[in-house]
Amino acid sequence: MSKARLFKNGSIATETDAKPIKADVLVEKGIIQAVDQNIPVTDQLEVIDCTDKIIIPGLFDIHVHLREPGQEGKETIETGSRAALNGGITGVVAMPNTDPAIDSGGLVRYVLSIAKEKAVIPVHTTGCITKGRAGKELAEIADMVENGALMISDDGSPVDDPYVFRRALEYARNYDLPVACHCETMTLTAGGAMNEGEVSYTLGVPGVPSISEELCIDRDIRIAQYVGAHVHIQHVSSAKGMEIIRRFKNEGVKVTCEVSPHHLIFNETDVGDYDTNFKMSPPLRTAEDNALLLEGLKEGVFDVLATDHAPHTPFEKGKPFAEAPNGIIALDSALLSLYDRFIKTGAFGWDVLVKRYSAEPRRIIKHDLVNIEKGNAAEFIVFDPNVSTTITEEFLESKSINTPHINETLSGSVEKVILAGEIKLDRLAEGAEA
Amino acid sequence: MSADTNNPPPRKDLLDIDSLSIEEIQFILSNAAPFKEVFTRSVKKVPALKGKTVLNLFYEPSTRTRSSFEIAEKRLSADVINFAVSQSSVVKGESILDTIDTLQAMKVDYIVVRHGASGVPNMIANHTKASVINAGDGFHAHPTQALLDAFTIGEEVDDFKGKKILIMGDVMHSRVARSVSTICNKLGMEVGCFGPGTLVPDFRHNFIQSFKNYEEAEEWGADVIYLLRLQLERQKSNFFPTIREYHQQYGINNDRFKRIREKGTMIMHPGPVNRGVELCDSVMSYERCLINQQVENGIATRMSILFWLQPEIASLPEELES
Repeated sequence: MSKARLFKNGSIATETDAKPIKADVLVEKGIIQAVDQNIPVTDQLEVIDCTDKIIIPGLFDIHVHLREPGQEGKETIETGSRAALNGGITGVVAMPNTDPAIDSGGLVRYVLSIAKEKAVIPVHTTGCITKGRAGKELAEIADMVENGALMISDDGSPVDDPYVFRRALEYARNYDLPVACHCETMTLTAGGAMNEGEVSYTLGVPGVPSISEELCIDRDIRIAQYVGAHVHIQHVSSAKGMEIIRRFKNEGVKVTCEVSPHHLIFNETDVGDYDTNFKMSPPLRTAEDNALLLEGLKEGVFDVLATDHAPHTPFEKGKPFAEAPNGIIALDSALLSLYDRFIKTGAFGWDVLVKRYSAEPRRIIKHDLVNIEKGNAAEFIVFDPNVSTTITEEFLESKSINTPHINETLSGSVEKVILAGEIKLDRLAEGAEA
Repeated sequence: MSADTNNPPPRKDLLDIDSLSIEEIQFILSNAAPFKEVFTRSVKKVPALKGKTVLNLFYEPSTRTRSSFEIAEKRLSADVINFAVSQSSVVKGESILDTIDTLQAMKVDYIVVRHGASGVPNMIANHTKASVINAGDGFHAHPTQALLDAFTIGEEVDDFKGKKILIMGDVMHSRVARSVSTICNKLGMEVGCFGPGTLVPDFRHNFIQSFKNYEEAEEWGADVIYLLRLQLERQKSNFFPTIREYHQQYGINNDRFKRIREKGTMIMHPGPVNRGVELCDSVMSYERCLINQQVENGIATRMSILFWLQPEIASLPEELES
């Protein structure tokens, strides 16, 4: 253990205040010992000047794809965790659509053992709802939970059969864990590759109608309401889908949901000249959806922000648009893109970021918060809003480069990341850009 | 070919109709006529592309379009290679861009590409210095078809402006419909369409008006009826109940043909036709049925396009090449 550290003259981002609040933070033995206006400097303290910097609780992403086991060419648990750290994310929950799918207690234990050995941040995992994510037979949910799975999900696809989905929710109730739902009605998606509309018509790309998502959101929540289970609706892309969730929430149904940075920032017109870095499932919708989802985030319809970080190799993403796999990477750039597009512009305050991307995700999986308060674990970001970061291939710690922000310069820099009281990332020490 | 003084500067690629200006369209059409005249000579060849290599890269099976391009290329004196992709590298897992790199190393000047996925010609064009001509990609575009159709209509009318074209059939899955409607719109024609509700998208270009029944469309009074080829397997996905009903409702049946003949409405079709589906047999021998004329004009129009495009490699002065 190193000596105590004093993060001096920074401003603290909180769940409740749009603007960060000036305060010093004293860290010792991995714990925040004090948060105060003017903590005196002593010889025993290593002082880190945070003037004009913002101290943000470590972010937590409950929806990432780390591809291990089976697709290590795209990402590994180690590289994915490095990408998260690079972006100020200090905890992730991996989705189970690996190869083989994480559908047994043994595989959960295997993944968590690699995480423990190789990952640079805590990496958690989801287990499958059904064996092999095939939507037919229940996976051994209890065994997966006992081995550490925090959620269950067949993410990447829905549990198509409502009977199987109902039984899964009923069975999962005893284990008190969220069932994360990728909402899509496969027969309506029918091979579509981008939002169905005038843009898909003009580009000649088969469309995915928004009703594909909306029907499944409605179905999943209705079944959850009927059996009294907790469903978590993943990556909502359609504003109408969001309204369905809002309605059920108002009725008191236990449903949580997430929105991804890309569904807030980009829309179908960004596909442009068939750029596969704008292809994901659910697809980018319209500019109107962007605006309405953003309002929904500010109004609290969305419990959490989550990236759906989905690495693919350049070979795979180099395929024709309709054939290229769905998904983009985002762990390295999520905070920067949210700051650049929304916080810096005043679209929302720091409170939204902290609440939706640090506190609420941890509440959903029942983890301790890391808000900057006395007694909490010292797990935070020193963020410099006055410099910028270019998302180059070299910057990305992810093994893949399939991000729509590639070679874009975004405002802000994740200057330091502190985890368990230790400085796990220090961009200044690496001599990075000024 | 004799060139006018204010010709539009050549482009590298022809990927769609949207990106062409009206001047460029008119230039291509006006140049096609003298090429067509060449076909009446005993030697049907001009030396315009002598020493150039054209690659026909067809990822989708095609006999008619590929032959049309091949004849056009040969009549321009180009060296022609037909790359039969389905039996080669795709099966071995080589990516499209890897294939293009290989072909680029062989120093081809023009690549004529057809692919089942929309956007592949764009992807190739961004990757190579050779000129890329889209010979049909997915549901996206078929610009050479649209240009040859416009040329064909232009041979029959004095002025495009105010003329009406009715596109009938599967607009949803048709690259031909997208490109033909766009070029007709650019040339000042009115565009209507008529087809099953499942196959006429609500979110089509806003200049295309849609008719609910044939009577309504007939009353509109088209100068040209453009029939789209129906892929019969669409029936399996419930886009229409039966071929029989499709022909009765959305094809040119004998009753409809009688009235068409009285009015002298032109009939066009990109081929190959499904007799008894899009049209009844008697349409094929109708004097205002332009289908064979479209085929002949296809060669002349494609010659005009190849003649106009300019690969980036060819624009380098010879002394700069090592």
